Amino acid sequence: MIFVSAHFGPIDVNESSTIEFPEGLPGFEERRRFLPLQHAQPDGLIFLQSLEAADLCFLALPVRSLRPEYEIALMPEDRETLGLPQEGPVGIGREVVALAILSLVEGQPPTANLRSPVVIHMKSRIAVQAIRPDDRYQCREALVLEVEAVCS
Amino acid sequence: MLVIRRHPGQAIQIGEDVEVLVIDCGSGRVKLGIRAPKQVHVMRSEVRHTREENLVAARAFATAGCESPPETSAVVPLLLAVVP
Repeated sequence: MIFVSAHFGPIDVNESSTIEFPEGLPGFEERRRFLPLQHAQPDGLIFLQSLEAADLCFLALPVRSLRPEYEIALMPEDRETLGLPQEGPVGIGREVVALAILSLVEGQPPTANLRSPVVIHMKSRIAVQAIRPDDRYQCREALVLEVEAVCS
Repeated sequence: MLVIRRHPGQAIQIGEDVEVLVIDCGSGRVKLGIRAPKQVHVMRSEVRHTREENLVAARAFATAGCESPPETSAVVPLLLAVVP
């Protein structure tokens, strides 16, 4: 399937690299299907391109590239959506990918939402924006990076 | 901020239409029941913060994006990149 993204132009989308948010994302409840694209460099930026709205794209980074010690904390309903057991640790990089959505607003310091990471089950490709039950991280965590360098 | 002490089974009324009932209270958590008209959005505060943050993030990217958007060839599907 060819999808024409406002940002990337035509993309040849392989079904097996798409993800589905059964409940959408807060604020975008109707947007379910996304294509995560990674900059072809290690730990590069990730673009979460909607496959239902050409101009909807989120920038994200793996949580551990921002906080190497980051551990996922999931609410029971998010574990259920992801098809994960109700108990036990969740393996970042093995079972799931965890991404923090970035806010790069002109004139403001960039921030990352580490409170509500996008958690993608790698096998089923089901995703949720999983709001942590604790307040160890905030929705607007300071991000120390050079925006220009990231975008080049 | 108004602080009211309530026991389980007791409620508070907010305006004409919103009632908050304390259902249960234990081990550091409180279970609340909320009765409100359909047009009153009731959500956990962190969902609201996440919602606002998502809207800001999406708008910022749509209006500014990156100065020089990467070529399609410069990006690869994430899932194929991590799942061999």
